[in-house]
Amino acid sequence: MRDVAVIGVGMIPFGRRDEDSLMDMLAMASLKALDDAGLGDKEKAVDAVYVGNMGAGILQHQTALASSLVDRLSLLPAAAETVENGPASGGSAVKNGILAVASGYYDYVLVVGGEKMREVTGWRATDFVATMTHPLAEYIYGVTLPGLAGMFTRLYMEKYGVTPEMLVEVAIKNQSMGALNPYAHVEMAISREGIYESWHSIVNNPPVADPLRLYDACPVSDGAAAIVLCPLELAKKHQKTPILIAGFGQATDTQTLQERDDPTDLKAVTLAAQKAFEMAKMKPSDIHVAELHDAFTILEIAESEHVGFFKKGEGGKAVLQGKTRLGGQIPINVSGGLKARGHPVGATGVAQIVEIVFQLRHELPKERQVRNAQNGLTVNFGGFGNNVLVFILRRVEQ
Amino acid sequence: MIKKEFEITAYKCTKCGRIHYPYHDRCLTCKNRQFDIMKPQGDCRLITFTKIYNLPWGFDQRYLIIGVVEFENKIRALGQIAVDETYDLKLGMTLRPYWEPVRVQYGENVYGLVLRPLDKQPLQ
Repeated sequence: MRDVAVIGVGMIPFGRRDEDSLMDMLAMASLKALDDAGLGDKEKAVDAVYVGNMGAGILQHQTALASSLVDRLSLLPAAAETVENGPASGGSAVKNGILAVASGYYDYVLVVGGEKMREVTGWRATDFVATMTHPLAEYIYGVTLPGLAGMFTRLYMEKYGVTPEMLVEVAIKNQSMGALNPYAHVEMAISREGIYESWHSIVNNPPVADPLRLYDACPVSDGAAAIVLCPLELAKKHQKTPILIAGFGQATDTQTLQERDDPTDLKAVTLAAQKAFEMAKMKPSDIHVAELHDAFTILEIAESEHVGFFKKGEGGKAVLQGKTRLGGQIPINVSGGLKARGHPVGATGVAQIVEIVFQLRHELPKERQVRNAQNGLTVNFGGFGNNVLVFILRRVEQ
Repeated sequence: MIKKEFEITAYKCTKCGRIHYPYHDRCLTCKNRQFDIMKPQGDCRLITFTKIYNLPWGFDQRYLIIGVVEFENKIRALGQIAVDETYDLKLGMTLRPYWEPVRVQYGENVYGLVLRPLDKQPLQ
């Protein structure tokens, strides 16, 4: 297996992008990544393209996105495939790209993830996301992903003493960072008073799936992000600092929450992280910056424990102590996370890697840069923890 | 109302005894392919619950209360809880199961598990 590096990244601002089609967004992010890698003008830019997307077949009535994208970008006759794996579609597309390069079959691979969710009403978007639940045991009852997260949160609070204050602190931290991120959907800092302490908070922050409230949930977004991969030995001749894929892991768990022996145990996160750390020959304390899949505030806390940054029951306390802020023990979601950057489901796994590449190249403005970051980690969480990918990236000095 | 039989079928592994719902082709624990069919029995214990305000397409109502329960014979399932407010619910409390319409699809009632506290039974 060859070492694989990221040599180019591209992302477009997430949000409501009424003026752009899904294909427009995928093309814009791809071109930015190709240009960043110095391949944008090459006759044969890449050997293969992987597109991560969850819902174009339902939301845009469009399939075979990858075939369409290589044509649009004039990358023909590059191999092209669309990867659908729920909210982990982006991470799965990246993993497939890594394997293709590591195997020696392809040298240059473009991976792009994108989703256009604001084209339909919230009613339809909620239903679309809920199609990943079990059709007979869950979906028919009207369960939604916020609903599953609400039930998980109630159990996690009961078992580990997570408090509403801890969840609020995650929301405040991530939105304060999102306000500094030009790619973020929600560029608005929020206060403890506004969403928790004052009587206004009842109106500002209504329940969505109790005990979770509006500001515990990520927005529904449009967006796309892309990366270019190649073998490490070829990466060194490109202009940007190569970022090595030091390790990755993927694991699955039961589709329904109720079949897990302990529904608060996110086994797939633990197993995927263990595989990634083993491959990278690192431990959690070696990580300097992390992008966790905070589709709901509780998930940032739970994932920070399941990947090994904190012991079970300590993640919420760590948030209150500022350990996960920029400058803290392990800065988490300095991009604003899904909570503020947004969650166009197919784009998220790729966007997390783009953010870590920005961090490891030391390209971000001071107020968002983790000082001298060398190693970063991402968690892309599919379903309700039933398909999880973890990536560990490392800066390679030229 | 036409009363319907419970259509929940669970599967108990003949080798290790693990109970599965929904169906799996191989046991989640020992990978055995033989199962005894089980039906839910008795009342249920509430494991967790939530009140969902942003409902999916197909639900024309303000909110929905759902929960996961465990039946007396250890089958676990998700269902709708027929209470107005979650104040009436506590983890570990006993709920009584019913098989009733849970949504309408293509103009037809879809039946499923509906749960009620013992002191909030429907009028006969």
